[in-house]
Amino acid sequence: MNLRWYHFAAWGALIAAMLLMPRLVDLGLMGRGTLRTMIQACYLAMFAISWDVLSGRTGYISFGHPFLIGIGAYGTAILSKKFGVPVELSIPLAVLITMIGGLVVLLPALRIKGSYFALVTLAFMELMYQLVQVIRPDLTGGTRGLSGIKTLTRGAENGYMLAVSLMLAVALGCWLLMRTRFGTALWALGQNEEAVSGSGLSTIRLKAMAFLVSAFVAGLAGAFLVHYNGSLAPRAMFDINSVFTIIVAALIGGAGTILGPVLGAFFLTFLLEWLRPFLPGAERFLVYGAVALVLYMYQPKGIYAIIEGGLKRLWGRA
Amino acid sequence: MSARLQVSNLVKRFGGLTATNDMSFTVEPGESVGLIGPNGAGKTTIFSQIMGEHRQTSGQIHMGEQEISALSTPARIRRGVSRTYQVPRPFPEITVAENIRVGLMPDSVWQMVTRGADRDRERELALAVGFAEADLDRTPAELSMGDLRKLEMARTLATDPKVMLLDEVFAGLTVGEIATISALVQKLRDQGMTFLIVSHDLKALEPLIDRAIAIDRGTKIAEGAYSEVIADAGVRASYLGGGGDA
Ligand SMILES: Nc1ncnc2c1ncn2[C@@H]1O[C@H](COP(=O)(O)OP(=O)(O)O)[C@@H](O)[C@H]1O
Ligand SMILES: [Mg+2]
Repeated sequence: MNLRWYHFAAWGALIAAMLLMPRLVDLGLMGRGTLRTMIQACYLAMFAISWDVLSGRTGYISFGHPFLIGIGAYGTAILSKKFGVPVELSIPLAVLITMIGGLVVLLPALRIKGSYFALVTLAFMELMYQLVQVIRPDLTGGTRGLSGIKTLTRGAENGYMLAVSLMLAVALGCWLLMRTRFGTALWALGQNEEAVSGSGLSTIRLKAMAFLVSAFVAGLAGAFLVHYNGSLAPRAMFDINSVFTIIVAALIGGAGTILGPVLGAFFLTFLLEWLRPFLPGAERFLVYGAVALVLYMYQPKGIYAIIEGGLKRLWGRA
Repeated sequence: MSARLQVSNLVKRFGGLTATNDMSFTVEPGESVGLIGPNGAGKTTIFSQIMGEHRQTSGQIHMGEQEISALSTPARIRRGVSRTYQVPRPFPEITVAENIRVGLMPDSVWQMVTRGADRDRERELALAVGFAEADLDRTPAELSMGDLRKLEMARTLATDPKVMLLDEVFAGLTVGEIATISALVQKLRDQGMTFLIVSHDLKALEPLIDRAIAIDRGTKIAEGAYSEVIADAGVRASYLGGGGDA
């Protein structure tokens, strides 16, 4: 994996800074509302990481990530609320269902190339939106969704600590995974799939493994999010805007880098939050589209590359 | 380290075009065979079928005793056959070392994750095909055509083949680069590697092969010692335009 001292330093600093955020609230330097915004950012970061593992390197763009997130969220919500399964069991089960269910449904799509994959994933998200409303609405809550789902934490600080710990664990895990030869193989796959096969590697297996990791993260984050919110609304979950938010977070942060999508998720969440007083409606999304575009023109590899470049220049001067 | 490659009654049709027409030949272990013929004769298409990148319309391909015609490309590579591409296919955004790394990887995600890269072997392969130490960290975008062909050779070698199929390895190379690749092929031959080599540069090809197969429009028209094949009337007519000194 070739880890250097500055990798440890950067991760140490990031983890320390994130875990110390609630102390800023204690000191009166930050509002509790900001902490709640950061919780949203942590979940978006996990979704963006999940997207990045599958799509950031391989070029198989998923437009249907809420499909995976939805399986995780509905899975644990239904298991815990309707069947009384304890949360310690319902969450792992929901994650497992996300991985298996997602793979069974999308494995055929992974065999087809590029843009078709995007279309198929989009179709499955829409299909799932329709299905949860008509099939067993007694379980799914139909159009209205589910509420009164058991929450795991009380108060902003606890909610934040849970979300940020999960997010950091997921980010570190995926970052390490992408630094192995598996990560190199996924880069290569996105650059020339035939040549990967011509190098003796089964491309369908590589894609399926990337998909499983992606589904694991999506299911996990979806499940924990539903136990944070305590409710679940299908219209918001399977919204095309939520797809774009995930993809834009990953892209402006820096696709393929894992840490980039985390940066992108925080940037985007706070941007939307700051814009809220000025632009209360959906036109906020237009603004972030514009911001993303400008950023993209300045540095197509995203915020991560901008920071990396800055650090290198500083380092060179010192 | 060697194995016998056998192609039997191979036929490949692209719509109405017969790109491979009842082709049969054998490359014995340790042997080096030249495959020659004019542009569009079907040389690359034969390679693609041996590798499983194109499925044959009919016929069989064997590696040793085993039929490989129905296997996937990675499975064939595991059986010990590997090729270079006429148009190099590097991974443009990763380094030379990482390109070679992809060829070295076992086809097991578990091993990719749990075992690190073999940097010594990457370096060894890069140097063997004529790269300098400093080239390891360069990306293919910075490489010349000669370097890209070296990279093809290195990645093909990385899969640890018994039989290597080289497609136009000398095209677009300088005299010095041709000498480097030729020396590498000679060295591998001495070690017992089996070769099937396509080249338009007959002067560079001749010293590297034990015998030649000439094809035209998908059909084998001559097979034997290089000088005999080149002297063959049919070969001269189709390939050399009826005369001239290749
Ligand atoms: N994928 C394909 N689809 C249709 N025709 C093809 C395809 N690949 C090759 N051909 C045709 O098959 C013939 C042989 O091509 P090729 O094997 O590339 O020749 P060579 O390598 O000897 O120059 C040519 O006429 C070419 O146009
Ligand atoms: Mg050719």
